[in-house]
Amino acid sequence: MRTSLCALCKENRSVIIRPKDRAKLCKLCFINVFETEIHHTITTNNLFHRGEKIAIGASGGKDSTVLASVLKTLNERYDYGVELILLSIDEGIKGYRDDSLETVKRNAMQYEMPLTILGYEELYGWTMDQVVEQVGKKGNCTYCGVFRRQALDRGAARLGVKHVVTGHNADDVAETVLMNLLRGDLPRLSRTTSIVTSTPSASSDPASNTNIKRSKPLKYAYEKEIVMYAMHKKLDYFSTECIYSPEAFRGSARTLIKKLEQVRPSSILDIVRSGEDMAKLVPGNDEGCGGTCSNSIPVADEEEGGCGSANGRTAGGEMATMEQQLAQNEVASENALEVDLTTPKVNGQRNDRHNSGTVPLPNRRKGKKGGEAFIPKKAPTKQTMGTCERCGYLSSQKICKACVLLEGLNKSRPKNGLEISYDSQPKEESSVNGIINGLEKTAIAGD
Amino acid sequence: MPGKHLSGDSGQQCRRCKENVSVLVVRSEPLCRDCFIKYVHTKVIKRMESFRVRNTAPDQQRKILLAVSFGVSSVSLLNILDHHLQTQKAKTGRTGFSLNIIFVNTSSVDSSAVPLDLRQRLQERFSEYHFTSVGLQDVFNDPQRDALHDIAPGLEVAGDSSPLQQLETLFKSLKTAAGRADVVSTLRTRLIVQHAKALGCEGVSWGDSTTKLAEKTLSETAKGRGFSLPWQTADGESPLGITFNYPMRDVLKKELVNYAEMTDPPLSSLIDYSTLSAPTTVNSKTTTIDDLMQHYFESVEENFPSIVSNVVRTTGKLEAPSTSESQVRCALCSMPVEDGRFGIHGWGGDQQDGVAYAPGESGPLCYGCTRSAPRNP
Repeated sequence: MRTSLCALCKENRSVIIRPKDRAKLCKLCFINVFETEIHHTITTNNLFHRGEKIAIGASGGKDSTVLASVLKTLNERYDYGVELILLSIDEGIKGYRDDSLETVKRNAMQYEMPLTILGYEELYGWTMDQVVEQVGKKGNCTYCGVFRRQALDRGAARLGVKHVVTGHNADDVAETVLMNLLRGDLPRLSRTTSIVTSTPSASSDPASNTNIKRSKPLKYAYEKEIVMYAMHKKLDYFSTECIYSPEAFRGSARTLIKKLEQVRPSSILDIVRSGEDMAKLVPGNDEGCGGTCSNSIPVADEEEGGCGSANGRTAGGEMATMEQQLAQNEVASENALEVDLTTPKVNGQRNDRHNSGTVPLPNRRKGKKGGEAFIPKKAPTKQTMGTCERCGYLSSQKICKACVLLEGLNKSRPKNGLEISYDSQPKEESSVNGIINGLEKTAIAGD
Repeated sequence: MPGKHLSGDSGQQCRRCKENVSVLVVRSEPLCRDCFIKYVHTKVIKRMESFRVRNTAPDQQRKILLAVSFGVSSVSLLNILDHHLQTQKAKTGRTGFSLNIIFVNTSSVDSSAVPLDLRQRLQERFSEYHFTSVGLQDVFNDPQRDALHDIAPGLEVAGDSSPLQQLETLFKSLKTAAGRADVVSTLRTRLIVQHAKALGCEGVSWGDSTTKLAEKTLSETAKGRGFSLPWQTADGESPLGITFNYPMRDVLKKELVNYAEMTDPPLSSLIDYSTLSAPTTVNSKTTTIDDLMQHYFESVEENFPSIVSNVVRTTGKLEAPSTSESQVRCALCSMPVEDGRFGIHGWGGDQQDGVAYAPGESGPLCYGCTRSAPRNP
């Protein structure tokens, strides 16, 4: 019988091959090394300080359950002196969230942490089930992402917590790096690799819901190791994935990452490293140094992706829409170039893809209404942050994303049928019809 | 779908000349053969603007080295540049630059084997240009080869053996197909630059299509070389001390496949089609990161060609840090390594206490090269 000994303790039989580096370890050493690495991440990045009250964004899934378990263990073992609480968001998805919330409730008892549950319905007047009923399954993740981000901040503010930790793991970060390369979103690429983000307060009110720090202690932890850890520690987590489909870009990036991991296990970490390094190369970016410099904290994203449920099940609606939009711009700039080579608008606006000179108005509108999910409206310059005129949440625009999305939802609520097409229809149709046709439609829809 | 052939009867009128029947649809425009050829040429020649005749002093011929792999893109580029030079000559009596061709034979360390008759045919068809064929082992004839000796165990002592033996020693130390493929392409670039300098060329022209550059963007990201992306994909001065130029950056690979067939005479007999499509099955032993990306972009290009171009455009927006001669460099890929952050240790993702980075410990190699050629197997 071929048994090999654990590469670390050299005593016990190895039962685990570490996904990260294929090291053969025994169960105890694996658990120990996994925890120690997260401790290392926490200490080298100075994530916590003594006396701090920290909310764990808990979904009941593997990532946040492992995060809660590890943080409890480390807080006791290394005496961080932090107070840990659980904060759950109820998106209102029947058959998914209601079940997973039961898990969180059990976790709260197992880990002896107080739990607060905050619902989309309470905050926004809409459950995700209602949103999906309204907008369809395509693009609903945008709503969920934007809403969740604010919900966590609002929940934290209510609890008087200034720091929320989330279960984003290395696979999520790597996925986001590739996804943002695919959709050409450099500003988001540079923000996403950072281990700490924050929504700096625009007001001096200490209870302000915009002054919340976010961090990802599992940023360098492999998804597979998180699953292994949960299994060997016999953690109680909820493993069903969200019933609504993920963005196509994310699904596509995820599939690719799984294959890369097969060919070279370090790939996930290597992509995270590349992402951190590339953040420094993004023009006008003096903040996103990938969490490697100490004095500057990137501003958090209004929608942080990676809700951990993606298998690329969609037919690629987002990709098709983006393709259509990019193709239009190409044609537009090509035509403009043929007429006049020196049109400064065409050559000068290197970062604004919607506004390629020849089709300014309809396209712009379209970007605002339909393309919200994947087209950045801004050039990759530093964002200037203000607060939303309606809800007071931090926003780089006059009105924050959540309020824009809500406005669209609420508009279509009283009536029905016809108005729905206002938001979702042009997008779908333009991917089927020709460019000109699509353009006319959006122009009409934009009016 | 761009580049998609239409069946004979469904041919529409060409959108550009409005005379001929279209033979294919390129980025949603139906084009006839002539307009398509012109379309490809225009996209490429536009990228060669700095090499116009009027930018060249008559008594000083500017030289470019064209790297040919016998793939669709580089052979097409040779054909287009040849056509461009003939046009320049016909119009002005002289050319804006002269062309040298180089082919690097890597068959001693990988499975590529470009048939000899392809090489002969290419040389016959483009006989006016100086053609060099070198083996990858020539990289060990580099005056700076000493740096390479630190890369693999045993290479220092093998220093006196033949270049081919040294190359084999190096590749024996590489454990994975992904690592070997990466080192082959790194050494190939190195060798081409070395020859370009020796031949007095001011720059190297690469045949990379839009699709290839998008693949490169994602695969270098996956290899942990995000830091060097601007240097590896953008036109201009490269840290290797010579100008890099990617004239095919605005043309998709599938368009070039059509171009090679439709140009007159066709280029098909000069092209090694064996590398055109990536293997479809993933095998952790034999699949490389480049294979995965090639396969991935084959499908993206088919349905979402503009997304492919957008990836390249996006990478083009990354700003390369300023480089200087004195900067510390990777011993293998020669890219400047900021703050001497060599190796895979000493950053956030290396979550071990007490494993501080020891300078000079591993080569020194950059992060990406350390992954491909780890010193401790």
